[in-house]
Amino acid sequence: MARSKDGGREQSGARDSGASVPDFASLLDAVRGIRWPARAAVRGGIPGAHTSRMRGISAEFTEYRPYRQGDDLGRIDWKLFARSDRAYIRLSNDRAILPTTFVLDASASMAFPVESNAKWNLAAQLAIGLATVARNSADPVGLLIAREGQTVQLPPRTRQGVIHEMIRAVSENSPRGSEPLSPSLTAAMRVSGRIVIITDFLGDADDLLSNAARGVAAGREIHAVHVVAREEIDPPHETRLVADPEFPETRRPLTDDAREAYVAAYSSWRDRIAHDWSDAGVAYTAVVVGAEPPDQLIRRITAPRGVAATA
Amino acid sequence: MTFLSPGFLYAALAAAAAVVALHFIVTRQPRAGVLPTARFVPDLPATATARAARPSDLLLMILRILLVLAAGAALAGPILTPSRKADARVILADVSAASLEATGLRDSIHSIYRDGDALVVFDSSARVTGIRALDSLTAGVSQVPRSDPSAGNISTALISAIRAAGSLRERADSIELVIVSPFVADEIDAATDSIRALWPGKARLVRLPIAGDTSPRAATPLTLQTAAGDPLQITAGLGRRQLPSGANIIREPSSGLRPQIPPVSGGAVVEWPITGRPRGALRRQSNDTIGGVIAGRALVIAAFERRWIFPADSIRDANVIARWVDGEPAAVEWRANGGCIRSVAVPVAAIGDLVIRDDFVRFVAALSRDCSARTRLAMSASALGSLRRAGGKAPRDAFRPRSDVQSTLAPWLFALAIAAALTELLVRRRSEPRASPELPRAPVAST
Repeated sequence: MARSKDGGREQSGARDSGASVPDFASLLDAVRGIRWPARAAVRGGIPGAHTSRMRGISAEFTEYRPYRQGDDLGRIDWKLFARSDRAYIRLSNDRAILPTTFVLDASASMAFPVESNAKWNLAAQLAIGLATVARNSADPVGLLIAREGQTVQLPPRTRQGVIHEMIRAVSENSPRGSEPLSPSLTAAMRVSGRIVIITDFLGDADDLLSNAARGVAAGREIHAVHVVAREEIDPPHETRLVADPEFPETRRPLTDDAREAYVAAYSSWRDRIAHDWSDAGVAYTAVVVGAEPPDQLIRRITAPRGVAATA
Repeated sequence: MTFLSPGFLYAALAAAAAVVALHFIVTRQPRAGVLPTARFVPDLPATATARAARPSDLLLMILRILLVLAAGAALAGPILTPSRKADARVILADVSAASLEATGLRDSIHSIYRDGDALVVFDSSARVTGIRALDSLTAGVSQVPRSDPSAGNISTALISAIRAAGSLRERADSIELVIVSPFVADEIDAATDSIRALWPGKARLVRLPIAGDTSPRAATPLTLQTAAGDPLQITAGLGRRQLPSGANIIREPSSGLRPQIPPVSGGAVVEWPITGRPRGALRRQSNDTIGGVIAGRALVIAAFERRWIFPADSIRDANVIARWVDGEPAAVEWRANGGCIRSVAVPVAAIGDLVIRDDFVRFVAALSRDCSARTRLAMSASALGSLRRAGGKAPRDAFRPRSDVQSTLAPWLFALAIAAALTELLVRRRSEPRASPELPRAPVAST
């Protein structure tokens, strides 16, 4: 782990900007034991930890069902047939893996505050922590970093070093530009049943929402983690001329009067985002930088909701 | 130091105070920063006005104050005034033809003149000058004949003296008027008394010897050789008292020969043919009409038919004594045997009132005046008394400060203001980038 972190720092833009690199080692220790069940039964496939919609032949018995023409003769419980002279098929709950891809927003707005890159660091910690949780359940995990010029993609893997590769990827890349997230979400939905979007929604939020809604309709489990900085919720009272890093031509004076209007508008916008994404069937979670430790956030995100919570 | 127009200086001081105040009120963009959610900030003008505890752009403020004060001081016209003396003199030096005794004039003025005094030299005009200019002006004056034989004009000199006193009022508590002149009768006129009254206090008169013949010439009647019916006879009869004696006006030579020698030494022979060609003149190609003629101070406005013209070659050695109003010579004069011969090309019309007009009488008198040095009469005792008057020296407050005094410091102050303006421009251009700081850029990763 340390080698990977150091290696990542060697080429990291974050090092150039003076921003600190998150401590992934302690995070990985902290998330040990956390389970992240799927919100709904997953499609069948490679045996895994999540309840599958398929009824299989696993050792975990569920019920008998009368034999119907076309069933595999090998699945008939011959002992029961001998006792009752009736042909029944022994059914059991099937379990499958859930490939999970993390779509990480690496636009310039994530590099905030400029001095610490706290939003980006928290997003990276959440991605690595959640990936570790998923990987511990034998789920393949992958990563998509949407950054300007080149989108970094690690396809879902279950091999041992995949977490290390993800750590290296987030360490070697830093936010810049204004790359839209929607194409990355589309790419992730092709290869994964669970997609986690970690972003501040300051880019193509509308396109992203419609894309995510289509994914949910297609049976994908989509999580949206909204990363917000404290300075965005409660900006300093000092009068400043603030500029959008993704659109530098947007420069506006943040005076005392403007500050009140800003706080109200931003709060309203966050509420609308939460409402829209929740309505779309997405597991929406808003996280504030520094408000909670990352492992606590991971527990909140992975807590069973919906079908899984009642299972 | 005094100022010719102190109002400009007060205005400049007020403007400088305003500049200082404005530098405490800064209008600029606030400090720039990054906020990803800047789109939620209301779109307002990106400038803010605030009062600063310290003036902004100290160097610019100093340059602007310097610019305003220098320009204001230049417009105010600062005058460096020396320490004030008890008294000063305004010396009027007569350098006209009446004071041909140049040595006496120069010596008299040198004995009177002190540093700081004003020297006004005058003849028919007056001008303020320095003592060295007086020396050069009077050098050899007695040897060279004067082109202007008229006497000086004390009225003109007194006006210049009052103006000179206005410039002396800052340097002396009282001002004395000294007039160095032969004081001939011609030097005063009707306005002299009124102008002299403008100078309060007495005047010291330094009298020089009168140049020329001061004794009356022996009375010799003016003679007019003409034919019967010449209208000029009427003029001669009307102006018998005004016309100078001793002149001989020849309208029609009785013997048919022109006289070659003036009958009296210093007298004038005036050849004024009725119809014939005047001496030195040629017939014009075509006659024309001119509206007036002038000789000395005698101006006659009438319609004259010009038939003759004096070509330049023929009057090369002559003096023009009368001119048409367009400048062409109407009468010329040659020196001969201590006297002179004059040739007049002015027709005398028998029709009209020309010959009985007073201006024409004076014109004839000017043409027939004596050729030699003028006879000058000493000023009467009453006239001298009017010039001298009683009282003491004039106080400085009696004279208004001169409004046409130019400040020698003003050009330098204007140059200083221009230099400050140029420097301010350069400094402002250099400081402009700092006025709109670049936004801090987001960190760029090197992949």
